Amino acid sequence: MSEPVIDVKNLAIAYETRAGDVTAVREVTFQIARGETLGLVGESGCGKSTVAYSLVNYLGRNGKIVRGDIVFQGQSLVGRSQEELRQLRGDRIAMVYQDPMTSLNPVLKIGEQMMEVLTIHQSIPKEEGRARCIDMLRQVHMPVPEKVMERFPHQISGGQQQRVVIGMAMLNKPALLIMDEPTTALDVTVEAAVLDLVAELRREFDTAILFISHNLGVVARVCDRVGVMYAGEIVELTTVEELFANPRHPYTQGLMRCVPRLGRGKDSSMLYPIPGRVPSPANLPPGCVFEPRCDYARDECRQARPAIREIAAGHQSRCLFAEAIDPHGWRPPADQVALTAGNGHTEGESILNVDGLQTYYAHSTGILGFGKKEYVKAVDGVSFEVPRGKTLGVVGESGCGKSTLIKTVIGLEDMTGGKAEFMGFDITQKVSKRDTDTIRELQMVFQNPDSTMNPNYSVGEQIARPLKRFNVVPREQVRDEVIRLLRAVKLDEHYYERLPRQLSGGEKQRVGIARAFAGRPDLVLCDEPVSALDVSVQAAVLNLLLEIQKEAGTTMIFIAHDLSVVRFFSDYVAVMYLGQIVETGPAEAIYDPPYHPYTESLLAAVPVPDPNVEQEHIRLEGNVPSPLNPPSGCRFHTRCPRRDMLPDGGAICERETPPWRETGAGHRIFCHIPLEQLRELEPVLHTSDEG
Amino acid sequence: MAVAERSAGSPTRPAARPSWLSRTLGGLAIIRRSRTAMVGAVLVGWWIIAALFADSCIISPQCWVQGSQKAEATPWIARYSPFEQFRGQTNKPPSWEHWLGTDRQGRDLWARVIHGSRTILTLAPISVLLALAIGGVLGLMAGYFGGLVDEITMRFLDTLLAFPQILLYLVIIAALGPSALNVVLAIVIAGAPGIARLVRSLTLDVKTRDYIAAAKTRGESPWYIMFVEILPNAKGPIIIDAMLRVGYAVFSIGTLGFLGLGLPPPSPDWGSIVNAGRKFILAGHPWDALWGSLATASLVVGLNLLADGVSEEMNRYR
Repeated sequence: MSEPVIDVKNLAIAYETRAGDVTAVREVTFQIARGETLGLVGESGCGKSTVAYSLVNYLGRNGKIVRGDIVFQGQSLVGRSQEELRQLRGDRIAMVYQDPMTSLNPVLKIGEQMMEVLTIHQSIPKEEGRARCIDMLRQVHMPVPEKVMERFPHQISGGQQQRVVIGMAMLNKPALLIMDEPTTALDVTVEAAVLDLVAELRREFDTAILFISHNLGVVARVCDRVGVMYAGEIVELTTVEELFANPRHPYTQGLMRCVPRLGRGKDSSMLYPIPGRVPSPANLPPGCVFEPRCDYARDECRQARPAIREIAAGHQSRCLFAEAIDPHGWRPPADQVALTAGNGHTEGESILNVDGLQTYYAHSTGILGFGKKEYVKAVDGVSFEVPRGKTLGVVGESGCGKSTLIKTVIGLEDMTGGKAEFMGFDITQKVSKRDTDTIRELQMVFQNPDSTMNPNYSVGEQIARPLKRFNVVPREQVRDEVIRLLRAVKLDEHYYERLPRQLSGGEKQRVGIARAFAGRPDLVLCDEPVSALDVSVQAAVLNLLLEIQKEAGTTMIFIAHDLSVVRFFSDYVAVMYLGQIVETGPAEAIYDPPYHPYTESLLAAVPVPDPNVEQEHIRLEGNVPSPLNPPSGCRFHTRCPRRDMLPDGGAICERETPPWRETGAGHRIFCHIPLEQLRELEPVLHTSDEG
Repeated sequence: MAVAERSAGSPTRPAARPSWLSRTLGGLAIIRRSRTAMVGAVLVGWWIIAALFADSCIISPQCWVQGSQKAEATPWIARYSPFEQFRGQTNKPPSWEHWLGTDRQGRDLWARVIHGSRTILTLAPISVLLALAIGGVLGLMAGYFGGLVDEITMRFLDTLLAFPQILLYLVIIAALGPSALNVVLAIVIAGAPGIARLVRSLTLDVKTRDYIAAAKTRGESPWYIMFVEILPNAKGPIIIDAMLRVGYAVFSIGTLGFLGLGLPPPSPDWGSIVNAGRKFILAGHPWDALWGSLATASLVVGLNLLADGVSEEMNRYR
């Protein structure tokens, strides 16, 4: 390997707090060579962003490097003044953040901002600068670059903004590009395109990239080597293929068992959450940092902190027993019982029937709302049914109307049209007009753990409220019932008195689940209940939901944007695009051909945490059209990559609403393309070795 | 599954919810941590003690609103009755006998200022609490229901806000006549719109949280959601605002007294003390005006410092 672009040696970073210095990062060592991408993965709070910020000296006023060295192109960056650093680094290190709007100035045109990057570091004439910017925009695949130069940041979509930011970062051809969760805020199809772009630019510019992400799938797609971080240390560092095929640290192994494999359902696979919690940086265990949660922990692990060591060529692990722990020999702990739903697909009676449901938001133009009324068609003609005791998963990108759909079903939004029946009762009115019995039977689990609980009341009071309101148990038994519910969500009795701010995200979500199930509802609607959680916590919460569902026989509607999670969790799946369902059916049928072209592109875009899985390369063009004025005919026709399968390039798609094509077993596709042709499509996922 | 997320590392201590008393003491600790709040608390605390122990008539409401009328009350901090006229002692400068001097009717100024704090410390908080109740309910309703309710309430309150405050006072008192009740009424009417705006904006923020949606899906009534779910989460800024408003109310009551629209004489009202002494400033007897103004200023400054310090500390620990 030639001289690395950046060489981080034994780095330790501490933050000053009221309680003294807290070491956030310890013994971090890595190199990145030209044209190489190193990924840093880990759960929130593991120190991965701190490492990135230390490279650009952006630790904030209370952060400082306490040990180690950062060598950039042969020169040390530690202990120098701002001015020296500026000259040393110059324009040779660039950074891309999670939210593109934090990097773009909203009052400057995109062209002006990009030109500024060039003129600040080099004296480049205006005309040449402009030409180079346009050239760069073309390289990041922006349509009509000349026009984009004249736009303001808010006039382009989120994915395009991130492309512009990446383009700006590349303008000076940096030697090192740091990307901090660059795709986390984007939808899967947009994310896939941005990741393609990153890989392409790296080849073209021969840049070293430090890529930070919490998502194993994303890392598997773009990185050459991966460092897994846990509690401020790199615990394993190796090539991406080796990491996924042969992980040699118990934490890495645990992480992989937490993530559902795309295409695997709850009846054929299980998730194994890592027990325990990440230790707080101020209170680390004396030995190995992972020891308290490790299945293999022995006495030696508690004695001293293990050093990271080379266990094979190019494979480092911070485990004393790295050679001995075989990921394939791992057995689940005895007390984790199989959670398979068991009852297969026996058609039960359906508990919820929705027919042609519409939710429109009125939006008036003109002064004082006296103009013409326009309607945002958030949900437009959705029909489905959910059999008793089953789970319907709803997937789609942001803005497809999935959240509005369940908010309408539960009565938080006004239903504009259509019919909805729940256990034979009409539920077309808002929740305030429904009778208490209907209200009790329909409950909801929310997305954001930080706002799902009222910060002013204790856990016990919040779970007790629905019990009292619905008279589930006599008054004097309320406390016992709350404790029973707490136990059901794996929380101890003494959580009763705690306030929400004393709980972690996963614990808050558990309390939210306990509260939703307190009234013993028949139907629970889950609005992305795990998408804000770390993977290991996510696995535990998913298992918990499955267990409660199995015990209580509850029916669920489960919304998520993560296709693997939906596949894992659901019996039936509905795919939504722009307020309509485009494909629905049993979960296993959705993930194999025949597909709706939109489903196909979603599957092609999902980052799969396994470098051995080959995905078809299908990328969607353009943006999601506005729901104010959705496209005629098939709403997907503006972006459909399969239109050319029809005669005259799919002219019919623009004119006519597509028919529902039935493949049997309740699987329906909303598309003009005949089923025979759809069946001939290649499956999106191929596994090179059967695993 | 029992292994999923073992509870926090240490052997879990039962984090019992603190009792009402210890939470209040915790709130007082905030004041101790901030020097600004501490100075404010000392100033305000002095006036509260002065008002409480002016004389032995602590319980009768009459002594608080009108100033002491009972002859049998023994003066404590005040030393004399505020109504007792000392013969031949008119317009005297401060002396050992009369610490702050006497006014033109020979009444002891120390006694009048101390007794004046009683009126002001009764009327100002009462009027702010009333304004808070009215403005709070209007603001909650406007913010929570939105739409037409919001539009009608807020436009009505905007109309009130459009009048200069002093003009509003003059109109109300002129129409109703000067009395303690009407002073309170005027301050409530002038203060409620501002509080309503604040509460409305807080409500708009809190009502988008998931726990409000959760309450709705339980079928809770709008009143339950407004008062039990939303209001406690808006209390911080409301408390700070109320503290500042008590300061403004002190000012307003002083102004009304000065204009002769406050409490009818002979009540020892700080505003009217200043007004009475106004004519003698150039005659070499500035004491009435000075003490009245100083008293008002120290109380207002104290309340402001207290509010500033508390809000600073609260934001720091957010």
